[in-house]
Amino acid sequence: MQARMYSFKRYRKFILPLIILLAVTEGAAIICGATFGKLFEGLYRGIAFFGNMYPPDWSAFSEMLEPALQSIVIAFLGTVFGALMSIVFALLAASNLSHPWVRAITRFLIGLERSIPEIVILILLVAAFGLGAMPGVVALSLGCIGMLGKLLADIIEEIDPLMIESIESVGGNKLQVIVFGVLPQIIPNIISYTLFRFEINIRLSVLLGAVGAGGVGYELDYSFGMLQYHRAFTAMIIIIAMVFATEQLSYYLRKKLKMEGALK
Amino acid sequence: MSTAELTLPSKKYRQKMTVFSIVVVAVALACIYTNFNPLGIFMEFHYVRDLVGEMTPPNYHVLSDNSSTAMAILQTLSLAFLGTLYGGVIAVVVAFLAASNTMPFRAIRLTARFVLSFLRVIPILVVILIFVIAVGPSTFAGMLTLVIVTVGNFGKLFTEMIENVDNPPAEAIFSVGASRMQVIRYSIIPQILPTLIANLLFAFDVNIRAAIGLGIFGGGGIGFQLQLAKSVLHYKDVTAIVSLIIIMVIVVEKISDYLRRKILGEGKLR
Amino acid sequence: MLEVKNLTKTLPNGRRLLDGISFKVKKGEFVGILGSSGAGKTLTLRCLNGLLKPDSGSVIIRDEHDRPLDICKINKRELRRVRQKIGVIFQGYHLVKRLSALENVMIGKLGQINTFRSLFYGFTDTEAEQALKALDKVKMSELAGSMTGNLSGGEMQRVAIARAIFQSPTLLLADEPISNLDPSNAKTIMKMIKPLSEHMPVIGVFHQPEMTAKYCSRVIAIKEGKIIYDGDPKLSNKRLEEIYGEELELIEQQEHLLAAIAK
Repeated sequence: MQARMYSFKRYRKFILPLIILLAVTEGAAIICGATFGKLFEGLYRGIAFFGNMYPPDWSAFSEMLEPALQSIVIAFLGTVFGALMSIVFALLAASNLSHPWVRAITRFLIGLERSIPEIVILILLVAAFGLGAMPGVVALSLGCIGMLGKLLADIIEEIDPLMIESIESVGGNKLQVIVFGVLPQIIPNIISYTLFRFEINIRLSVLLGAVGAGGVGYELDYSFGMLQYHRAFTAMIIIIAMVFATEQLSYYLRKKLKMEGALK
Repeated sequence: MSTAELTLPSKKYRQKMTVFSIVVVAVALACIYTNFNPLGIFMEFHYVRDLVGEMTPPNYHVLSDNSSTAMAILQTLSLAFLGTLYGGVIAVVVAFLAASNTMPFRAIRLTARFVLSFLRVIPILVVILIFVIAVGPSTFAGMLTLVIVTVGNFGKLFTEMIENVDNPPAEAIFSVGASRMQVIRYSIIPQILPTLIANLLFAFDVNIRAAIGLGIFGGGGIGFQLQLAKSVLHYKDVTAIVSLIIIMVIVVEKISDYLRRKILGEGKLR
Repeated sequence: MLEVKNLTKTLPNGRRLLDGISFKVKKGEFVGILGSSGAGKTLTLRCLNGLLKPDSGSVIIRDEHDRPLDICKINKRELRRVRQKIGVIFQGYHLVKRLSALENVMIGKLGQINTFRSLFYGFTDTEAEQALKALDKVKMSELAGSMTGNLSGGEMQRVAIARAIFQSPTLLLADEPISNLDPSNAKTIMKMIKPLSEHMPVIGVFHQPEMTAKYCSRVIAIKEGKIIYDGDPKLSNKRLEEIYGEELELIEQQEHLLAAIAK
């Protein structure tokens, strides 16, 4: 009896969260029209359909190389411009360099950007500028600010104040403090975060392509729309190769950078 | 290190300038290739001004006039929730199959690992397009996509988490003659549970953003409403929906941050 | 030539940190400022190059045209100009860890080159040679290319001295330059600082009375924000007790300990 009481007490604190979890799950399942049983049926149908897409249509391979390049270039431009903007935002958002008011406003903007998904930004930009690479690049650049801006600002705030004082004590101005006291300390971080963001941007660039930024994402969406599943399979292989290759490259570069830039 | 490694400022300057010019040239070429004019944003800024003019004031009647917007927000929240929950459960199961300290059979382990790495590189766009065709455009398709994406994003992490569990408790339990299942139940699960839940909360945070994007491709929810409002040029509705999205994302982020802090203990976020 | 007049600094709660500090320092003097922790020595020093603004009082130095300038009154731009000619060595080294030793020395001239040039790390080779000479004076030229963050404390302090030499300053300030160093390194640093006083006034804050007795030409002692002694660096035990109060025993213990370690 006592043993049963003990085990009941142990589990009692889990009961309420568990009931809430079950209730929320049930509610969500009704809204989505998805019970646990249906889940596996759906997954099975997806996988079965995926099997039907085989084999890839290799004749479409060559005509998809250019869109693939386009996607990569859009991701590249978005990352470069995004990183530059993020550095500016980070400098303005760091408490040791910036005025408290400027910092508060910049931090607010960074937080706001973080909560808008890139695809929503893209939809608004497409509404303003029409289809093309430009809204894609701008959406990706803006998308960098929320992540890179925040990470870099936090890194800058951790810089030893002595280094900033060392430039000030020899008569350097604010710009020189940034160039000599701040940038050398954060450049390894800038490069490694930017590479990481490039990985994300490659994936996003594919996704945004389907909404109007062009590139291989558009090819994929188009093939599905035209019910040319074997062609879609080819696009998929190219995309996966692209994502995989960037990931490996960025991983390799970041590892190399870490080893070279390490302080004792 | 010696003076031999000393680079004179002039040489260093040339090196920096070379790198700088390479980047500039690459960016310029890329801009030309994609027809992207960085100054275009400013030259064509009147488009943005026009759009902003058309977008304000936001029409919040979308919430009261038409029950579908409020419903769409609920749909997005629930598909992100279910995607995270089901995806998380599947990810944990696969992670146990893939971890070297819980799965003794090499063949199963390698298969599980292969599945996880494959799901990791497969882009979300491919997954949603497949499910939209397989089960039809619906919230259900969006949810299935998130299940797959969650397994892909977090399966490997969970595997590493299980493998990094401290071994001594497991050994102690084995030494009193417990079975493998008992070791998992009494040694591994208690050790990984807090991090696991914290990661699932983080996954929910990520998934809610993804869920909005999925709506545009037929995954249902608020993203679909946004796409709809935009394609019929009801820009005042678009503003209202975007602001609702921002509020939703921020609220979810705050709740998830709060719960994670509570679970992991103050200050150990991430 | 430096003249400090009546420096005062008061905390909002009314506590006086500096209370009428006045002294004059000439070229050829190596002045050591002593005092127990919290007596106001570092505050005084920070006032001398404008890192801290006193509530009242003035710090007069001569600029390149021999005009008197009050550091406490001038604007930011002028302050930057004045700082170019004040070398500073800090306790915490104040070097940029991810730049090489040579670059850290060249930073000394940062205020003197134009901003646009400095944006591209645009030091000239001549400047690099001069910087290397300065490093040679502190016997660091062999490590000129290594990253500063990888150097030891003593080596970093030598780089800081080289930076001050490279600045060719008209005044050198040293804020507890040897507090983080072991006795033998501390002696090396003191030996390097001492000859610099032939060309400019040198003012240092120290915590080691036996070091100032050996190397300084004059000692100023501060207690509770006031100067209580100004004169010969060799202090009697009674005087030391007066300066440090109860802290003296602690310092003696520390010195014995350090001496024992050094042996």
